[in-house]
Amino acid sequence: MQESLGNAVVEAIALLLSGDPALWEIIGISFTVSGTAIVLAVIPAMVLGFMLAFYQFPGRRLLIALSNTLLSVPAVVIGLTFYLLLSRQGPLGDMRLLFTQSAMIIGQIALAFPLLVAMSHSAFQAVDRRAWETAITIGQSSIGALFLMVREARFALLAAVLAGFGRIIAEVGASMMLGGNILHYTRNIPTAIALETSKGDFAQGIALGIVLLVLAFTLNIFLHLFQGKGVLS
Amino acid sequence: MTGLEKPLLGFNGISKRFASRTILNSIELELCEGQCHLLLGENGAGKSTLLRIMAGLLKPDTATISYQQQLHRWNKARQLLREQAMYLHQAPYLFDGSVLKNLNYALPASTSGKHKASAIDEVLEWGGLKGLVDSPAKQLSGGEKQRLALARARLRNAPILLLDEPTSNLDQASRDRTLDLLSSLKDEGISMLIACHDLSGFTDISDGEYCLSAGSLVWDKA
Repeated sequence: MQESLGNAVVEAIALLLSGDPALWEIIGISFTVSGTAIVLAVIPAMVLGFMLAFYQFPGRRLLIALSNTLLSVPAVVIGLTFYLLLSRQGPLGDMRLLFTQSAMIIGQIALAFPLLVAMSHSAFQAVDRRAWETAITIGQSSIGALFLMVREARFALLAAVLAGFGRIIAEVGASMMLGGNILHYTRNIPTAIALETSKGDFAQGIALGIVLLVLAFTLNIFLHLFQGKGVLS
Repeated sequence: MTGLEKPLLGFNGISKRFASRTILNSIELELCEGQCHLLLGENGAGKSTLLRIMAGLLKPDTATISYQQQLHRWNKARQLLREQAMYLHQAPYLFDGSVLKNLNYALPASTSGKHKASAIDEVLEWGGLKGLVDSPAKQLSGGEKQRLALARARLRNAPILLLDEPTSNLDQASRDRTLDLLSSLKDEGISMLIACHDLSGFTDISDGEYCLSAGSLVWDKA
């Protein structure tokens, strides 16, 4: 078993280095889907996080409780919910989105959104309350002041984006249910790992696992470098 | 006050409660063009709350506001106050970045590059901050931070300055320098309301005083 595991790792690295088109296609789909989802989710989530931190309005506490609750919803439950909404008999069935990359993006937005809201809310809350007042009193508009607050909280906000991206690129439940794991179209890294492992083809699964590990490592290094630069500036 | 000064900003009946606690109780106050008034009172008297309301940063429960003798309701007055008045915290908040960056934020986005550079150069000279232009603002000393906040206020060019204990926690030299800058701002025609514990140091620039105690105006020598 130890020997076969070793062989599988060697084979996985060889697959990655050989530029195997099938493998890199799967990686490409993963990054396209999750990258699109995070880009679409990040601005509304941060605006909501900002409003929760700096404004008092009816329903604010309910929204905070809701976003914190949704943090712990399993990906497969999100997948099931949107499956029911997007399936032929569902209320959004006419849109014919089920088993498409768009459906995967919708599911991943739903997964990332509460995490981004909760983390950006914390990030903005950590900004000194005088910062907002100072921004307004030196003549910034509300939008200008928002940008200044984003700048003040940029390290924590970047951490939120990376955590959100990390969550959705590695999730399998929603992608499997909404994308259907269709080769060349909706098969991404986690669904491919699940499939190859069930087939006993560990090499491709390990190769894709290595990609996820390298990605996690790169994102963390990037965050630490960025924070280090901030401390020194 | 001689009675000849032109009223700039007037408040009638400012009241503010937080939960069941009354912070301000029907305050009446007036600032005149180019004059400096002191707002005296102990800690917790409501000075900072009053200044925040006057700067349009905090909504009062009740208040009638007049600006250049025109009456305004809060919704309209808030934007006007934000445009015309600038509030300076007791401990100035400086944004992450250099002194130059902090000054840039106080200039309207429409300011041309050439005008921006000369305006910043002028306030750096005025505030004695010339050698600190690229220094990280958060690492300045207390006196330098206060001078940068005043330089930012001068750059912002608001006709009214509301200062919350600008000389507290400063050593004598920094205190004197800050008072010189305040005096210079007054000479330029800026109206000021300065919250402080006592008169010392401010008597030379003061045209009148208001005194708050437990949220009520106990006397004024305006």
